Amino acid sequence: MMFLPFLVLAAGLLVVFYGWRRWALGLWAAGLLLLIVPFRVHATSVLNLGF
Amino acid sequence: MTQGLSLRLNTLGLLAIVAVLAFALGDQLLNKDLPCPLCILQRVGFVLAGFGLALNLRFSPRPSHYALTLLGALFGGAVSIRQILLHIVPGSGAYGDAFLELHFYTWALIIFVLILFGTACMLLFDRQFDKSAHGAGPLAGLALIVFVLFAALVVGNGLSTFLECGVGLCPDNPVDYELLKRLRSR
Repeated sequence: MMFLPFLVLAAGLLVVFYGWRRWALGLWAAGLLLLIVPFRVHATSVLNLGF
Repeated sequence: MTQGLSLRLNTLGLLAIVAVLAFALGDQLLNKDLPCPLCILQRVGFVLAGFGLALNLRFSPRPSHYALTLLGALFGGAVSIRQILLHIVPGSGAYGDAFLELHFYTWALIIFVLILFGTACMLLFDRQFDKSAHGAGPLAGLALIVFVLFAALVVGNGLSTFLECGVGLCPDNPVDYELLKRLRSR
């Protein structure tokens, strides 16, 4: 699932190219949301952060 | 700062991000230095930051586009700090190759901080946001070339991540392209 942010952001760049700004912003946000699980698993899973 | 100068600086900024992504992918392919999960997250951070600059090139500079660049650089910086802290204790080892005596994740943090600094400096100049200015319009010239290179590197990184990790999460210490290995073993 770690390839998904790249896929969504690549689609976002295609949308940027064709001039659809709102869709591009939405895809950027979707790309960021897709990072939550990998970030939690790989970057914070062994930290004592209280969650 | 005029909008034209701002667009040229945005092109240079995106070119710098293209150079970083190309260097990382080149090192992966030529030296068989597979990126760890945190390295991949840092690459996504560069893509998120570059996306804001690409929006500036296509739709003319806006504070909201710079905000995307800042958020992307903050995300990538957080991941690179995390990786530096993993290896900061002497004797705890390191991951991957070093370049000019610094590991890639250390370089990544330096570059993310530079992106934050540069973007904050760009936000100081209000005239670039003038709506009466000509605007960016369809991409052309160097901006188009840099944009296409950036998009190609995003696709290339996505493809390499897919081959390395498959549809699941990546192994902590990758030694081979998991998907290719699975296909070969069938």
